[in-house]
Amino acid sequence: MSLNLTYKQVNKIFGEKEKNPVHALNEVSFTIHPGELFCLLGPSGCGKTTLLRSTAGLESITSGKILYGDKDMTTIPPFRRNIGMVFQSFALYPHMNIFENVAYGLRIRKTPEQEVVRKVTEVMELVGLTEELKRNPSPTGLSGGQQQRVAIARALVYDPDLLLLDEPLANLDAKLRRYMRAEIRRIQKATNITTIFVTHDQEEAMAIGDRLAVLRRGVVEQIGTSDELYTNPDSAFVSNFIGKMNFFNATLTGKNQGRIDTIGTVVDVKPEKVRIDPDAKLSLGDAVLIGARPEQMEISKEIRKGAIEGKVLIIQHLGQVVRYEVLLDDKISETSMEIDMPALIAGVSEQDKVYVSLKEGMPFMFLPEERN
Amino acid sequence: MKKNDKNLMNTGESSLGGGIKKKLQKDITPYLVFAIPLTFMAIFLVYPMVTTLMRAFMPAGNKMVLGSFSLKGFTKFFESSMYQKALANSFIVSISVTLLCIAIGVPMGYFVARVKMPGKSLILSLGILPIIMPSFVGAFTWVILLGRQGVLRHFLNLFLSPLGLEVPPIYGMFGMILCMTLTYYPFVFQLAYGAFASSNSLLEEAGMLMGADKWYIFRTITFPLILPSLGAGALLVFVRSIGNFGIAAIIGGEKYVLPTLIYFRVNGFWDLNGAASIAVVNVVITAFVLWLQKRVINKHEYETISATHSEIKLHEGKGIRIVAIVFSLFILILSLLPQFTIIIMSFFEKWVGLFPEGFTLAHYLRIPRYSSSEMINTFFLSILATVLAAILGSIIAYITERKKPKGAALLDLAIMAPFILPGTVVSVALLSAFSGSSVLKLTGTFTIIIIAYMVRRTPYVYRSVAASLSQLNPSLEEASTIAGANWFYTFRKVSVPLIMPAIISGSILTLTTLLQELSTTILLYSSKTRTVPIQIYGAVADGKLGEASALSVILLVVVFVIVYLMNRKQGQSIMSSFKMG
Repeated sequence: MSLNLTYKQVNKIFGEKEKNPVHALNEVSFTIHPGELFCLLGPSGCGKTTLLRSTAGLESITSGKILYGDKDMTTIPPFRRNIGMVFQSFALYPHMNIFENVAYGLRIRKTPEQEVVRKVTEVMELVGLTEELKRNPSPTGLSGGQQQRVAIARALVYDPDLLLLDEPLANLDAKLRRYMRAEIRRIQKATNITTIFVTHDQEEAMAIGDRLAVLRRGVVEQIGTSDELYTNPDSAFVSNFIGKMNFFNATLTGKNQGRIDTIGTVVDVKPEKVRIDPDAKLSLGDAVLIGARPEQMEISKEIRKGAIEGKVLIIQHLGQVVRYEVLLDDKISETSMEIDMPALIAGVSEQDKVYVSLKEGMPFMFLPEERN
Repeated sequence: MKKNDKNLMNTGESSLGGGIKKKLQKDITPYLVFAIPLTFMAIFLVYPMVTTLMRAFMPAGNKMVLGSFSLKGFTKFFESSMYQKALANSFIVSISVTLLCIAIGVPMGYFVARVKMPGKSLILSLGILPIIMPSFVGAFTWVILLGRQGVLRHFLNLFLSPLGLEVPPIYGMFGMILCMTLTYYPFVFQLAYGAFASSNSLLEEAGMLMGADKWYIFRTITFPLILPSLGAGALLVFVRSIGNFGIAAIIGGEKYVLPTLIYFRVNGFWDLNGAASIAVVNVVITAFVLWLQKRVINKHEYETISATHSEIKLHEGKGIRIVAIVFSLFILILSLLPQFTIIIMSFFEKWVGLFPEGFTLAHYLRIPRYSSSEMINTFFLSILATVLAAILGSIIAYITERKKPKGAALLDLAIMAPFILPGTVVSVALLSAFSGSSVLKLTGTFTIIIIAYMVRRTPYVYRSVAASLSQLNPSLEEASTIAGANWFYTFRKVSVPLIMPAIISGSILTLTTLLQELSTTILLYSSKTRTVPIQIYGAVADGKLGEASALSVILLVVVFVIVYLMNRKQGQSIMSSFKMG
């Protein structure tokens, strides 16, 4: 029986009394539902790990509340919270064999020996380490992926109310990482324990999470499913963090219309793709950003109506798509564009002049805030 | 020209892997350079040890009679009550000292590493002083404080006499244990501190999340993980205290221990064979403890799984902070009391009541007249032995670490052996081999003292350099070889400069311990090779505490200045040279 986990206006300020306090968490408020696999995503230093450690009780929060159901957890010490946690470095005990590592939480709870054996066997079966448990080596004798499984088993064995995963895949190689993220999702769904998963890798977060929260500088930017975040990003930052977004500096010329600066190409944006808060109170002539994902753009050798001239820097064949990196006039965009075409375009090579256009009905419009 | 080309080809191959042996076949310089230290070790370490072992099984006396076999030297341990008591005392002293050092060093290490308190680096640097200061100096200052007419004893008795109690004079078991504990606890303290400060805090956080409270975490995680360091520290303490001569000789009183018994056999009866038997017993005990420690440690030696550490949280509670500060300061002050006392004592005529009486500089003024040759001898012997030990230690370390010759492990064992051998044992071994009718008669010479010093202290440089070399990427040397340099050129221009800091720190430790060396010298000196520690020992025996204090202060100042200068240049690296294996 799980309950909601609710954050209410959580603030964390490091070095409050010092000269340069760091506002690591700023008015964080949201709710995680029972049985949910929830991802905290953001660049390094965004506060995601601080939020996780505060949930565990390893950090104290400056103000606000963390509720489990109706119970205030804020001041309960970590060892009374009944939480399981998997650390980035796994934090397995080198002086205990894997059975004792997994049994640790049960020993603290003074579980009878028979029950300990049963639960450890059961959880090791769940994480797929039945064979290793028979040999029962020290964790140092296991591969990275196996150590990871032991760490998960150790966190799950005493039926915690909440499972916290702190970048658990960061220490594994790329292939294993893809495999383990499916495994983690399988194990989480099998146990149905409410889980928070912290990562800086958006692909990982999108693949694994039921819902995601994107954090930036201690502020929750947006919460939603992978699909919601990808198709309806609330800000330029989220749009470029969840997938890639190309930006054009533009001027607002109508309700749903922007003119790309210096060349006068006017772009119509669908009302649902104008991702600007109505409270922002923009007026005609204000600066905005027109955005388009790599697959929402095209390049051609010949000039077309409304197309923008650019120079191809790099061509990368990625298998299902060919990625063209194109440099435009720096008044339009300071960084080069990434454009994915379904196939190579004959006669275009690196350093050639090309024309870039936006597919109709696809572009987004954002406030020209900081994008990164 | 052609030869050069060939050379280049070869080195190219060897850098691709596995070609080291081939290279050795071509360039014989390393063999030649290696032969010298090897010969030295054979003549002055292996041969004396073998002689000692043979003598141990010969009838009492100083004659080497091959073919005469006797167990008399050993059966004495069953017959003579003096032998039995010495053996028992040695055990009681060294085991109690080891346990007490753990009882003091572990909490103090934990406090300094994990509790928020001011002046940590000061506590750490003051906390190392007791082991780098002459230990027999500590012993005779405790005589000043708690001896028959001791200041502190006098003071305490003032309070206790109304209750009908009296503090006994320090001589005997209590004195030895107190004095050695306060001298050697830094080994445990420093190593425990290092382990507590560097342990991975995530392991403890994980335990906390699984529901463990602080005490449970300490018992099941923190403490088991520092066991290897604790074992290393405890071993150092045991080896030092069972081999200690100075403290036992000065405040042991009637109570003999094995090193003083050896001294008694040699000095009283010139019974080298009998001394050899005791030495063998002494070494067997030490070797057994070393073996035991290795076995236990090997079981508990863990790789750390990951290098990611988060900062360790310090205890900030008021109660624990007060306990930690009071405890650490108390131990620190108690263990540094001898150093303070001796400085005061050296400026006064006598100190029998509460306060010293009769300020005087006479003790210092007497030094040039009565102890100048001792001063010169001390510096001459120590510096020369240090330089030679540095060369010897570096070369052997380089060869064993880089060339990995067959039997490197055996060589490692041979060179580390003197580390666990008490000074008196080394002296007995050298006397066994090079006295009387020996081909090479060295008794009473400067040479035998220098050799004894080298044999005993080469491990310091060897350890320090070997550790530094194992950290050093061999590709730095390979790059030089590929560029066309021969072995000796690479050694001079690349290897030596890179390992220089290690050579220096090992040498400094060697020099500071040699300046205060008593246990080796006491059996080897003659009237022309007397050193300052011998002079101090003699002055204490004659009851001339003022003169002994003045000489000790000079030693103290010299040692302190050397260590201080090194610490400022290189930081806290001195502990690593003490460690073994």
